[in-house]
Amino acid sequence: MKWATRASIHIDRAACAWLIRRHIDPSAEFLFVTDPADLPAGAIGFDMRGVELSHHGGGCSFETILRRHDLDDPVLWKLAEIIHEADIDDERFDAPEAPGVDVVLRGLSMVCADNQILDLTGPMFDGLYEFFRRATLLGREPA
Amino acid sequence: MGWCDDRATCQRARSVGLAVLSDPREPSTPRIAVWRKIKRLGAAQISDGLVALPADARTRERLEWIAEEVTEAGGSASIWIAQPATVSAERELATAMAQARAAEYAAISAEAVATAGATIVERQSLARRLRAELRRIHRRDYFPPVEREQADAAVAALATQTASASEATL
Repeated sequence: MKWATRASIHIDRAACAWLIRRHIDPSAEFLFVTDPADLPAGAIGFDMRGVELSHHGGGCSFETILRRHDLDDPVLWKLAEIIHEADIDDERFDAPEAPGVDVVLRGLSMVCADNQILDLTGPMFDGLYEFFRRATLLGREPA
Repeated sequence: MGWCDDRATCQRARSVGLAVLSDPREPSTPRIAVWRKIKRLGAAQISDGLVALPADARTRERLEWIAEEVTEAGGSASIWIAQPATVSAERELATAMAQARAAEYAAISAEAVATAGATIVERQSLARRLRAELRRIHRRDYFPPVEREQADAAVAALATQTASASEATL
């Protein structure tokens, strides 16, 4: 399936793409548009104004996708807190990892194309997921 | 004072992101949340419902989501990329933003030095709180005033002083 979002991606769009590929559509193909009005026919838009899979009720698009697809894995919701704070920075959650992730993504956007950012951040989100999966199982930080 | 200190994006120097907001008049939770977010972004308020920020990818994105939130709450909002017609208009806006930050930095500096009678533990927790507050102000500081360095130095001195004092008691 084709999924489209705004070009020059940052944390929320990179994380949404990872989530879509891992949990919703393994063969997802991503397109980047500069204007939400250019959303190609048949593509599902995300993290852009006016589409369903976007910011709602003060939450980021990653949170919206979790809700709309009934993904209730607590580890994904832990990642959602980090992405929310890195993206919106409103201190709704206590996510000390967020400023670091925010800077990494802003730096990548200066030196990489959008597709490259998806390739690079895929393993990063896999790693974050594994870290918090183990932390959830152990009830403390894993080694 | 310029709108942009990043040479690569300087073609867009002087452009201002403007948000025109008209939110539900009665005080409500969404209304308060929206204005709190605008304040956190360090936007300058030009007039009722009209706020300005230096235009870059990040400020624009933040403003767009705020606009979306206003729309969701039943208000109306739109984002415009504008150019001040005169250098003085641009300077006025930048000065207003720098002055707002300067006041915030001055408050931090004052707190960092007013520690007479405070215990080491109180000073340590003050240093932590001021560092966090300073980071928040840095994020909305587009035209760093001289007070920025002073506040950074005052908080750094407080942190160093409490760190060496706690080492001495170990």
